[in-house]
Amino acid sequence: MTDITETELDIAVKVQEEPFKMDDGYESTLRKRTDIGAIVTFTGFVRDFNETPDVIGLTLEHYPGMTERTLTQIGEQACQRWALQAVRIIHRIGDLTPGDPIVRVLVASAHRRDAFQACDFIMDFLKTQAPFWKKEHSRQGAYWVKERHTDQQAAERW
Amino acid sequence: MQLTHLNTHGEANMVDVGDKRETRREAVASGRIVMQPKTLQLLSDGELPKGDVLATARIAGIQAAKRTHELIPLCHSLALSKVSVDFDVDHANSCVHVSALCRLNGRTGVEMEALTAVSVACLTLYDMCKAVDKDMCIEAVQLDSKRGGVRGDYQRGVPEPIVTGGGVTGEVSLGERCASPCVRVKFLAELRERVEESDLSIELDQLPSRDVAGLKAALSARDARFNVLSEQRTMCAINQVMANDNARLTDEDEVAFFPPVTGG
Repeated sequence: MTDITETELDIAVKVQEEPFKMDDGYESTLRKRTDIGAIVTFTGFVRDFNETPDVIGLTLEHYPGMTERTLTQIGEQACQRWALQAVRIIHRIGDLTPGDPIVRVLVASAHRRDAFQACDFIMDFLKTQAPFWKKEHSRQGAYWVKERHTDQQAAERW
Repeated sequence: MQLTHLNTHGEANMVDVGDKRETRREAVASGRIVMQPKTLQLLSDGELPKGDVLATARIAGIQAAKRTHELIPLCHSLALSKVSVDFDVDHANSCVHVSALCRLNGRTGVEMEALTAVSVACLTLYDMCKAVDKDMCIEAVQLDSKRGGVRGDYQRGVPEPIVTGGGVTGEVSLGERCASPCVRVKFLAELRERVEESDLSIELDQLPSRDVAGLKAALSARDARFNVLSEQRTMCAINQVMANDNARLTDEDEVAFFPPVTGG
């Protein structure tokens, strides 16, 4: 390849049915880099209580195409606000059961505060902007999860 | 579908992109040049009279991408952030496959640049080899993929990504095409269950106004269950970008209605 050089944002997003590993994203972020000073990760799990006390599973639907684009844009916004070296976002779809990991955000930066804040920001925006919808299954039946006012407030902090 | 290079009088004009948002744009194009097997052998052995054929064609392709606006009348001049030209020497089919990738952060697409890079790289291959083979044929110059911009991503041979049909595992359903100008409408998640419909098409002529409000009105007139679309909680995206009631609709737009998101 012959390249005209450019500075690229190192952002990768994935929407998948399969489980992800707890160290997913580390290798592709670090590669042979020695300028990374901090990596902050967030992993979200399916709880067995939410709108009802006995959630036995949930189904995640999304809007293919728009989901990936929205996640990438959130990553790009984070890169504009903080000095980041890499962003990885993985979100699962399909059928999940309590205890399953559902979302993972990894942020790398030279200094820890940028990574902590950007990771928090990405999760707040993911929860209020990325087109995912949860349908929870309980012993009483299935229902669509309602949006939370607190999530909206969290996103408005930024 | 409207041709954006024609104005309302049908005259050629350059599209004003000043109000478009800057996004990361990327396009990949490809083509091939078919030649005699012995010509291809000379090329891969580096024994053609004009020297290093592929290196020359690569530089030609990159230069051409940068000068596309000088060749194609209504193209904007763009500050490309990346151009790469690659070759695949295919002895089985006796041809050289050429592909080009162009990228930038900007307001207009880079597919013309990628196509120009491929075309000029192929022409240069022809020029470098014509002393020994005049039967060469340049074929299948085409756009393979395109990313970024309001019209959404494109991938040759892959149906446009639409919505989860059954709503379970992320299956992709393809809306039907209409003979006359129309928009494709998707209903997602809880909204799909409430309107008992996952996707439909509606002709633009049936809308009282060619915007989201007009679409809602037309659907409500069709069936009262679509009244839910006018509730405050219902959200809307056109071609996968969030939109409000005043957003304009054009032929082949994909409009999705859905409830507030609850991921994470």
